[in-house]
Amino acid sequence: MLYARRRLRNTIMMGLCVAAAGFGLLWLLVILGELVWKGTAGLSISVFTEMTPPPGDAGGLLNPIVGSLLMTGLAVLIGAPVGVLAGTYMAEYGRHTRLTGVVRFINDILLSAPSIIVGLFVYEVLVVTMGHFSGIAGVMALALIVLPVVVRTTEDMLLLVPDALREAGTAIGAPRWVVIRHVAYRAARAGITTGVLLAIARISGETAPLLFTALNNQFFSVNLGAPIASLPVTIFQFALSPYEEWQQLAWTGALIITFAVLALSIVARVLAGRGESR
Amino acid sequence: MTDIAAGEGAQSDGRQASLRRFALSDAAFRNTTRAAALLVLLSLAGVAVSLVNGSLLAFSTFGFEFLVSESWNPVKEKFGALAPIYGTVATSLIAMLIAVPVGVGIAIFLTELCPRPLRRPIGIAVELLAGIPSIIYGIWGLFVFAPFLQRTLQPFLISTFSHVPGLSSLFAGPPYGIGILTAGLILAIMVLPFITSICRDVFASVPPVLKESAYGLGLTTWEVTSRVVLPYTRVAVVGAVMLALGRALGETMAVTFVIGNAHRITASILAPGTTISAAIANEFTEATGDLYTSSLIALGLVLFVITFIVLAIARLMLARLRTKAGR
Amino acid sequence: MTQMMTIEPATTHATRHATGRPKIEVRNLDFHYGTSRALKDISLSLPERSVTAFIGPSGCGKSTLLRVFNRIYELYPGQKASGEVLLDGVNILDRKQDLNLLRAKIGMVFQKPTPFPMTIYENIAFGVRLYEKLTKAELDGRVEDALRRAALWDEVKDKLDASGLSLSGGQQQRLCIARTVAVKPEVILLDEPASALDPISTAKIEELIEELQADYTIVIVTHNMQQAARVSRQTAFMYLGELIEFADTETIFTSPREKRTQDYITGRFG
Repeated sequence: MLYARRRLRNTIMMGLCVAAAGFGLLWLLVILGELVWKGTAGLSISVFTEMTPPPGDAGGLLNPIVGSLLMTGLAVLIGAPVGVLAGTYMAEYGRHTRLTGVVRFINDILLSAPSIIVGLFVYEVLVVTMGHFSGIAGVMALALIVLPVVVRTTEDMLLLVPDALREAGTAIGAPRWVVIRHVAYRAARAGITTGVLLAIARISGETAPLLFTALNNQFFSVNLGAPIASLPVTIFQFALSPYEEWQQLAWTGALIITFAVLALSIVARVLAGRGESR
Repeated sequence: MTDIAAGEGAQSDGRQASLRRFALSDAAFRNTTRAAALLVLLSLAGVAVSLVNGSLLAFSTFGFEFLVSESWNPVKEKFGALAPIYGTVATSLIAMLIAVPVGVGIAIFLTELCPRPLRRPIGIAVELLAGIPSIIYGIWGLFVFAPFLQRTLQPFLISTFSHVPGLSSLFAGPPYGIGILTAGLILAIMVLPFITSICRDVFASVPPVLKESAYGLGLTTWEVTSRVVLPYTRVAVVGAVMLALGRALGETMAVTFVIGNAHRITASILAPGTTISAAIANEFTEATGDLYTSSLIALGLVLFVITFIVLAIARLMLARLRTKAGR
Repeated sequence: MTQMMTIEPATTHATRHATGRPKIEVRNLDFHYGTSRALKDISLSLPERSVTAFIGPSGCGKSTLLRVFNRIYELYPGQKASGEVLLDGVNILDRKQDLNLLRAKIGMVFQKPTPFPMTIYENIAFGVRLYEKLTKAELDGRVEDALRRAALWDEVKDKLDASGLSLSGGQQQRLCIARTVAVKPEVILLDEPASALDPISTAKIEELIEELQADYTIVIVTHNMQQAARVSRQTAFMYLGELIEFADTETIFTSPREKRTQDYITGRFG
């Protein structure tokens, strides 16, 4: 009797879990399906070769794509090295220090802090002092988002490098920094690369921190001293517009970003997997 | 062959030179990494300082009134944060009410029930989805989800609860499509993979021996989950929920599209409203006048303080499980 | 009670060690992990160009003692040695001692093979380049020489560009020995170098140790008593952080003076 009741209870609860899985995955599939459906409808070569059009005209997304690539690339070039160095301090030189504990805590906060706040910060520091919106402000905002992601993965990955390997490097008379650069970095290379790729994935869809740093630009520009177009901000602006051509371009842009992010995540995952199997 | 003998003498000069170089470069590298670590601290401090600095004007003009006033009038330059704060909390609450049970349920499904060959693919899919930029959810919400709700769920809620006292005002019409409820639902879908993937990791940290011995006693899957897995991981699950809450509170793009940007507090969750991040995103570049800008930055400061507290609690709770697992 | 049998090789074993002046002398060494005392007042003297084995049950301090000789313990906070360790009469525990130089003079091979994540060639050239500027040809010669000494040359000469990680466990360990030998150390410390290897690889390593003692002072930590008996000339038996007995290997294994040594050798504990 009692057992029958327990079994029934189990069946109900487990049924609910299966239902939850079905329900959750269904929505996510619906979103992805809709995105592919609407996005591919406007996908053509002109998307990659033409500028953003004026309202009511056909056109492409060339300038926002170039702007996004440019800002993302520079942000990674600035944020990733600093992140790797900071992670190196935490896992190597300062592993047992109080500073590392504090930095880890603050970094974790930064990792999930609202990105729009990063945008406000850069606005205050760069846009206000320069007097105008600029690509460089957008780059700095994105770099600040790259930083905590890379710090976290670098520290984690270096901590996975066995101490025996560090001891071995030290035992042949190599100073600490040589051991770190030539032994620890090499051993953790796949993991650190994964972290950088994930950071790229993260910022390539970031919109909020760009809204009032890089702003937007209807025209082709790679001048970092002036406002620059980016894919996410263009999507934001076009989606909220009343023009059908713009809305279609927003969907197509969304598809491109999602595809890029998924591709980066998958490459990162494969790399990480390879790192593990060695 | 005899080249390598116990080394002495001849090369000691060269070694001395190498050693001096090593000492210098090691100190340089050490200090560079330390500076980078300090830069992490500095950037958060910079965020805090610049937000405080930027919001001084608003707080000195309105004082405490800023936090409790609902009015937001750019023309009269009268600003109060209550409506966006309410919207932020309300949308996040709706999101958590839905996403937590569903997310934890999926995690349980993945760790306890899912057939082995499907576990990895579904797990990976969930993690990939957690990485999809929020603007995607926003654009989908605007074009697909909001019109869908306007046709289906919202009229249903309005007619069902129109005569139920208490609930009738919570679901008062007309069905706009966009509004607090829609934003909350989209946030729920967005944080779902996030909660699932953390909870899955957390559940996987339960020592297998513990589960095996519980199954050994003849416990059902649900009993093992509710009496062993969940109690063991309780603190970390709460941490994961807080982390997701931190995300929901600060999320901008998924919300901005569908919130309606109305600075008012209404009893009905079907009505348009605004959140802190949506208000900033919508109005910041168009804000004219120092007081307007400063008020928006003050909103940012409020958001920063709220999320900082939530995230700090989340991290402390997740760290507690880590110490328990001895990692 | 601690009765130490300190051997003075120059007098006691003059016949066996023609060159047996002390290479390393340990005097009243104490070692602490935080507050726990891991080595208690150790004194002993290791003769030059000869193999000395440290044996004892796990946790007895034999590895700790070994790790004092190149001060590798300093990588970790809270570990402290006090007393004196003289290398050729110079106290290496002195704060002024340069650690990198010390470690270049005293090589170490670890329990698990630790090839660096780079090619076989680079594994060896890496350490050499740190202290010497060599031409490509000189470096090539040095790598070959080291690999020959580690009896690995014939197995890897055609794949020097392969990853060090692609070798078998036994080969990896010999690569580590080659790497250590290549920087021309005076002393080689071996921390259970064969415990992770199969019997055939172990035999090769032991053979190698036998050959290397012609040029180097070797200290080996092992939990395998047969191995100690096979490869060493002197053996130190340690127990709970104390040096119980230190003598000629033959003496330790045939007629130990201490009952605890006897018990351990005959397998009554440990």
